[in-house]
Amino acid sequence: MLQIKDLHASIAGKEILKGVNLEVHAGEVHAIMGPNGAGKSTLSAVLTGHPSYTVTSGSVVFRGKDLLQMPPEIRAREGVFLSFQYPVEIPGVSMTNFMRTAVNSKREYEGKEPLSATDFLRLMREKKQLVELDSKLTNRSVNEGFSGGEKKRNEIFQMAMLDPVLSILDETDSGLDIDALRIVASGVNKLRTADNASIVITHYQRLLDYIVPDFVHVLADGKIILTGGKELALELEEKGYDWLTKK
Amino acid sequence: MTERIQISAGESRHLVLFNPHDASIDIVIERDARLIVHIVSTDGVDSDNEIHVSFTGKGSEAEFYGFALTRGTQQLRIATHVDHEVGECKSRQLFKYLVAERSKASFYGLLRVAPDAQHTDAAQTNRNILLSSDAKMHTEPQLEIYADDVKCSHGATTGQLDESALFYMQQRCLSAQTARAMLLEAFVEDVIEGLDEQQYRKVKQSIHQAL
Repeated sequence: MLQIKDLHASIAGKEILKGVNLEVHAGEVHAIMGPNGAGKSTLSAVLTGHPSYTVTSGSVVFRGKDLLQMPPEIRAREGVFLSFQYPVEIPGVSMTNFMRTAVNSKREYEGKEPLSATDFLRLMREKKQLVELDSKLTNRSVNEGFSGGEKKRNEIFQMAMLDPVLSILDETDSGLDIDALRIVASGVNKLRTADNASIVITHYQRLLDYIVPDFVHVLADGKIILTGGKELALELEEKGYDWLTKK
Repeated sequence: MTERIQISAGESRHLVLFNPHDASIDIVIERDARLIVHIVSTDGVDSDNEIHVSFTGKGSEAEFYGFALTRGTQQLRIATHVDHEVGECKSRQLFKYLVAERSKASFYGLLRVAPDAQHTDAAQTNRNILLSSDAKMHTEPQLEIYADDVKCSHGATTGQLDESALFYMQQRCLSAQTARAMLLEAFVEDVIEGLDEQQYRKVKQSIHQAL
């Protein structure tokens, strides 16, 4: 599904990714762990086309297409979804209007008719239940005045609405208490199918108790330096990252 | 030539200046009156406008909403002079500008509270978005407050469209164009929502054309 080869990327002239290689297949969950400043969030920003980052070399192929050539909205419509570490507040733009435009932009790209008002509202209702999102929130402006936990739930709600092929969860666990974490993780698990995949970026092992990965990668200083199974996360939890980076 | 408008005691009035050209208006508000003014400039024509308002009787309220979209090499200025000559009146000013291409726009707002105009409640806000790096905005709020028991505030901000919101929206499948339009419509909503439907639609159209 996704092949990242020798990916180098920089921001403001500073190289952050220094040759990342990663292959993700349908049905898999990959966890990316690593110390602060290793380039975890940069990887998610580069994959989704954030304009502040420049890819200096390497390639990213997503379902046979060159992802790096596409503007951010085309990547999204092709099925790449990012759950933001810091979801953005958009005053004056209602959640409902935003989601209707999002869903219909994707449908148009896929050559489908826009959803009728009734079908759209039914879809909203159904997906809200998945993350136990309060109906009051969807009547408000996008993320405006949402608590930290509500913002993260809202990300997973939007993920459910857009039904992505590849979901990148960037530190979705940060700022969540254990109950919110459980709700968010169960939402993510319910969305898992044999045809989609997830990249879960996290600093802590905690989230991986709930979203069990097939592979755990350690990203340090812009490179993946170690790959293992889910037990690697436990080892990292116990030993930290120093023993790896000092080698 | 200056146009004089009198809002009589107890009267309620809504004035709309839609694409005014070098308007000069002098409004006198008597006691217990209510006034709403909308001033909208979207036609791209150079214009220099002055609105002078005096509260001459107690218990009155006035709200001013301004929206300007400037483009090309246009120069636009809107100046307000709100004069609380007597106390116990309330004024609200909210002016928003979208400054595009190489245009130059300015807002000048003088708020004056006379020495005996106690319990005046006045607020002035000016918010602007520059849509190009060549666009220029000049904003000059002025407060002259001579009474001591009053509630007065003012604020002005000028910036660019929120890039992080734009990226967030694109990540949710919206085209950059649609995302920009939604952000700008959200930005101007509170200054144009009081217009009639035809004018409201005209303003939104002009925003879409400017993108």
